[in-house]
Amino acid sequence: MSLRTTPFHARTGPLSEGQAWRRWAGYVVASSYELSHDREYHAIRNSAALFDVSPLYKYLVTGPDAARLLDHVVTRNVGKAKVGQVLYTPWCDNDGKQIDDGTISVLNEQTFRMTAADPTLRWLHLNSSGLNVAIEDISERTAALSLQGPSARAILQIAAERDLSSLKYFRLTSAKIRGIPVTISRTGYTGDLGYEVWVDAPQAVPLWDALIETGTPYGITPAGMLALDVARIEAGLLLIEVDYFSSRHALIDAQKSSPLELGLAWTVATDKVRYNGQAALDAERRRGPSWQFTGLTVDWDSLERLYADVGLPPRLPSQAWRTSVPVYDRGGNRQVGYATSGGWSPLLKRYMALAHLETPSAATGTEVRMEMTVEHRRKQATARVTPLPFFNPERKRA
Amino acid sequence: MAAKRYDAIIIGGGHNGLVTAAYLARAGKSVLVLERRPRVGGAAVTEEIFPGFKFTMFSYVVSLLRPEIIRDLDLPRHGLHILPLESTVTPMENGDYLAAWADHDETRRELYRHSPRDAEAYDEYGRLMHFMAQAVKPILSMVPPDPTSFSPGDLVALLKLGRHFRGLGGERLHALVKLMTMSSADFLDEWFETDVLKATKSASGIIGTFLGPRSPGTAYVLLHHYMGELDGVFRAWGFAKGGTGAVSEAIASSARAFGAEIRCDAPVARVLVKGGRAIGVVMENGDELRANIVVSSLDPRRTFLQLLDSDQLPDDFVSDIKRFKFRGSSGKVNLALDALPSFTCMPGIGRQHRGAFSISPSLDYVERAYDEAKYGEFSRRPYMDIVFPSMIDPGMAPPGKHVMSIFVQYAPYHLNGGWSDAKREAFGDAVVNTVESFAPGFKSMILHRQVITPLDIERITGLSEGNIFAGELALHQLFFLRPAPGWAKFATPVRNFYQCGSGTHPGGGIMGASGRLAALRILKDGK
Amino acid sequence: MSYDAIVIGAGANGLVTAHYLARAGKRVVVVEQRHAADPSADIGWVPPRVVRDLELRDLRLEQPDPWLTAPLSGGGTLELSREIGRSTEAIRRISPGDAAKWPEFCQRVRTLAGVLEKLYLAPPPDIETRDPRELARIGGLALYVRRLGKQAVIDLARILPMSVAELLDDWFESDVLKGALGAVGIWHLKQGPRSGGTAFNFLHHHAGSPAGVFRPARSNVTQALEGMKGVEVRRGSRATVLAKNGRATGVVLEKSGEAILAPIVVSSADPRATLHPVAIELDPEFARAVDNIKARGVVARGTLTLEGAPSYSSLCIAPSLEYLERAYDDAKYGRDSAAPYVEVQRTDGRLELHVQYVPYTDGTANVQRHQALQQKVAHVLGVQTSQVKLQSPDEEELQRGATEGHLYHGELTLDQILFMRPVPGWSRYRTPIGGLYLCGAGTHPGGGIPGAAGRNAAREIV
Repeated sequence: MSLRTTPFHARTGPLSEGQAWRRWAGYVVASSYELSHDREYHAIRNSAALFDVSPLYKYLVTGPDAARLLDHVVTRNVGKAKVGQVLYTPWCDNDGKQIDDGTISVLNEQTFRMTAADPTLRWLHLNSSGLNVAIEDISERTAALSLQGPSARAILQIAAERDLSSLKYFRLTSAKIRGIPVTISRTGYTGDLGYEVWVDAPQAVPLWDALIETGTPYGITPAGMLALDVARIEAGLLLIEVDYFSSRHALIDAQKSSPLELGLAWTVATDKVRYNGQAALDAERRRGPSWQFTGLTVDWDSLERLYADVGLPPRLPSQAWRTSVPVYDRGGNRQVGYATSGGWSPLLKRYMALAHLETPSAATGTEVRMEMTVEHRRKQATARVTPLPFFNPERKRA
Repeated sequence: MAAKRYDAIIIGGGHNGLVTAAYLARAGKSVLVLERRPRVGGAAVTEEIFPGFKFTMFSYVVSLLRPEIIRDLDLPRHGLHILPLESTVTPMENGDYLAAWADHDETRRELYRHSPRDAEAYDEYGRLMHFMAQAVKPILSMVPPDPTSFSPGDLVALLKLGRHFRGLGGERLHALVKLMTMSSADFLDEWFETDVLKATKSASGIIGTFLGPRSPGTAYVLLHHYMGELDGVFRAWGFAKGGTGAVSEAIASSARAFGAEIRCDAPVARVLVKGGRAIGVVMENGDELRANIVVSSLDPRRTFLQLLDSDQLPDDFVSDIKRFKFRGSSGKVNLALDALPSFTCMPGIGRQHRGAFSISPSLDYVERAYDEAKYGEFSRRPYMDIVFPSMIDPGMAPPGKHVMSIFVQYAPYHLNGGWSDAKREAFGDAVVNTVESFAPGFKSMILHRQVITPLDIERITGLSEGNIFAGELALHQLFFLRPAPGWAKFATPVRNFYQCGSGTHPGGGIMGASGRLAALRILKDGK
Repeated sequence: MSYDAIVIGAGANGLVTAHYLARAGKRVVVVEQRHAADPSADIGWVPPRVVRDLELRDLRLEQPDPWLTAPLSGGGTLELSREIGRSTEAIRRISPGDAAKWPEFCQRVRTLAGVLEKLYLAPPPDIETRDPRELARIGGLALYVRRLGKQAVIDLARILPMSVAELLDDWFESDVLKGALGAVGIWHLKQGPRSGGTAFNFLHHHAGSPAGVFRPARSNVTQALEGMKGVEVRRGSRATVLAKNGRATGVVLEKSGEAILAPIVVSSADPRATLHPVAIELDPEFARAVDNIKARGVVARGTLTLEGAPSYSSLCIAPSLEYLERAYDDAKYGRDSAAPYVEVQRTDGRLELHVQYVPYTDGTANVQRHQALQQKVAHVLGVQTSQVKLQSPDEEELQRGATEGHLYHGELTLDQILFMRPVPGWSRYRTPIGGLYLCGAGTHPGGGIPGAAGRNAAREIV
């Protein structure tokens, strides 16, 4: 096998019923374990889904200048974060265009763990001139699982043998699961109650076993990327290379986006003095970004009509799609943006999409037309601009 | 017998001459190609030197063949089939290796093994080179404007060129300046720390030059080779089914389909000039053939100093041509093998044999190989680019047996004491012994051996001093200076006499660009 | 005591910048790490404009005649004079063919050096600009070159990227003549005469000299500048730039820890050493570009002590281009040349040595290597080891802080000149840090033209 397998593969491999694997950062991960991803998705919203998220790139940044380095690189204010806090943050190039997004876990004053979608070791090094800091790539020696869903806390509390109700949203703690030291962060990619569990790679399999055993009575379900994709769209969360392109990979300027254009203005600190892209972002904030990242809800009636016109019942995508479709103004003639992810939400019973719209057309409630191909012909369905996230349960932060 | 008068006679059936012939024939001209050897192709030939074993005698891979030529001449219909060359393995002197695979993730992992930072830099570097290749690509298809002239055509072309470069924006423009002026070693030093990676990459900067990886000017050659386009994918090298000879045959077939006539075993002695105009050619056997125009695909030295008398050319032009540098530096060793060799660094026979092996374990290794050549010796431990054509195209050898193509640098044309049979064999031994040191037992697999020195290249193909690019790709003899200042637009000081070989812009490699641009110039001139 | 500007380094460029700023009404202090002034001669063309503008009085230019003496293998020497005719005669004795070509060679090369002179007394052309004035200036330059004639345009395009060996091989046959001329083409470059770009370096060092003189003038310009009033000079401590929030605030003197504040800091020290302490203020791509500046020191400088005054002004031990190329080969692999190129320059009774190649290795002083080198050079010159004193680039870096001991703060390769020097796109003496400027040899026009960078930088600042 030429692609890598994750530290959990001894367990996830045999679970695959349809041999549906895909690549993630040079690893093989399951698209779904079962022959269809439906049950896995429902587990996220109904019980607890278990995802192998080991392929994330992870870096350990330590030293007296660790916070300074990270503050130089990312847009959020790391210096002001507390120990035990996890920050979701993008980082930008010198023109304020987004390179990647990930999380920074404050393990202690001089120790931070950073996750990223793309390899970031070199970028961290380039930014560390003159700083007293050590940067270590711990991607391969750290395995990670994500447990998401209403039963997630219950399962984890039993497995870790302690009360986790005080572990707040986007905070972390260390714990032991069957004697295995782990870090538990209340983070995830589903917009639901959920936790990520970080462990040293050699202990990956025992950890998996522990969680499965503990969680089986609660309906714990190993889940793959297809299920995750639907949940993350419901949560309004961006995916790199789909909803935006890293400015490092963009071939033309039009492919680049700033955090302000991606709905991430809340991650761009205004109380920090020097970080990559600051001047550009300040200027953009003053003039207002030209683009907005919003949700779109497709109007069911208009969708139904498109299919009825050709004598068919509406065909809904069985999986979330990641291709880009044009979005037009209400008249259907002028393109005002494009939708980059979309699909049917089984929970909300809505056809939803994530879209980039020119600011004047992005106000909530604006009516637009989204392109759809119906029986080989390009048609347009009516959609409305909807604020993100589509789904935001109380239990996420409770 | 009525003497036919052709629209165009093309001297030399190398790939550029054939391309010119095809384009002119396609435009309805009556074209005759005269080739000295028994087959067309020049240095792009496949020959069955030993029964059953087909050798790609000189050139061995394709990637620079212009896509517009492939399309315009419908070469796939005429037998062109390019098979992917998917990997490069560089054995290291400590038994380890560096590999570059077709899959991005695999390559990343392999680089990561050597240096985590280089693994990331590789992507950035690849992206930059992609842009650079895009930036330079228009230059490959343009007729060089003359900056010393005040003609409106030239000034407009110069302004357009200037605007094109300014449009690249700061970062890319600076990268372009670096690529045009630096050594490949220095350029790569800015990106990478793994020595064997730098050595392997910078090796493509020295191909066909008389320079070492630390010599300024090799970064340009690095870029030149990077512009390989294959099915629209830049920098993807491939092997033509049937060897590079099949490329020449496909172009010849296309030319014939358009009505061109190709004669082999037809050596031309000189160009017939009357009243300052070319009116035909004189064959070596004395026959005269008439044409409206004559085109030479031979290198500039042969074209101007052999096919013409010096009193038919202006004095300063003759000095410029005499000054045009050709120093051949490469040799070739072609082998028929009983079995494939197993390399110490990656034992066994596997997919690595479907790609290339690069003998470039370190920058110092390649630089030392160059040092020897500087002072007139061939490299005792040379740089080599090795492929096994039979692994990619099984038809190149009998079943179960193999052919091995080894491109070698350095073997200077001007060897101390000159090239003799003994020296040739000694050179072949140096090559074989070096491979043996990386693949013990290899020597015992050799059934037949053919060693080609720069002198052999010159004698067989006519390429002066065995320079495979028909003139060095050095900045001071490129673009509007190639082959001589003021004569870079495919015309010559003799009216109705044109030049279309690799000694003109954009230079060598199996590109066909010169041949096409020359044809377009001829058609524009209304000839 | 408050200053308007601090200049780091009291070499020619630093002092020139300081005096220009002072004349513009600024209160300037120059901080210099050396206690005592450097007694060695300044090598290079001092632009007359600088002399005039600053009213330099005590400037002494050494214009020796003959300007070069090269020993011949059979005995005797080749002496090249300022007068082309006299040189022609001298060359005729070793090669009549070369003698015949000498005058034309000198004229053609002089024309090209003239183009460089025009480029050196202004910031480099900004080819990316939209500013109509700058575009007009570039157009004017292009027209100037074109008016020099077709031959000049072709020469420029051909010769700029060439190796000095190819250039000289095109013209001459005499090894000793080519060696003597080619030697200046490799000055301060980690390249041999067969490397591209050395022809440019050869031309660069011809700037400011009359036709037929291929060694730069020597002078006491630094000394002359030191004698001028108008700026305060503080000696004895290395200074480090202070910057905060993207702006320069002053310098701190390393020895005492004292901070001197000023809104403008101009450094004539090498760019890497200047910017490294404030790297955190720089964006990573710029910092990387600074790190990538090639400044591989290969020259050992020093002094020669002889009993009496020698008859030559410059003695060049470079018997052929191949000798120089082999000397370079050693440097490629990190070794001192087994047979080094040695030049002795006599100025004001001092005999100064220029030796190549002595590559910078790792910044440590190696006693054995030092001894071996002095022995080698003494052998080449036919003197005792004790008469030779040398400082390798490693030692130079230790003592003076110039990165890798490179006197020009960055090699004059084709990718490190004009708008590429010191960092591509930052060739107008500014840095991304507000108020921090560069004015030394590491900027345009490079080393060997004392005062030119200093003047250009000053004019950008005021």
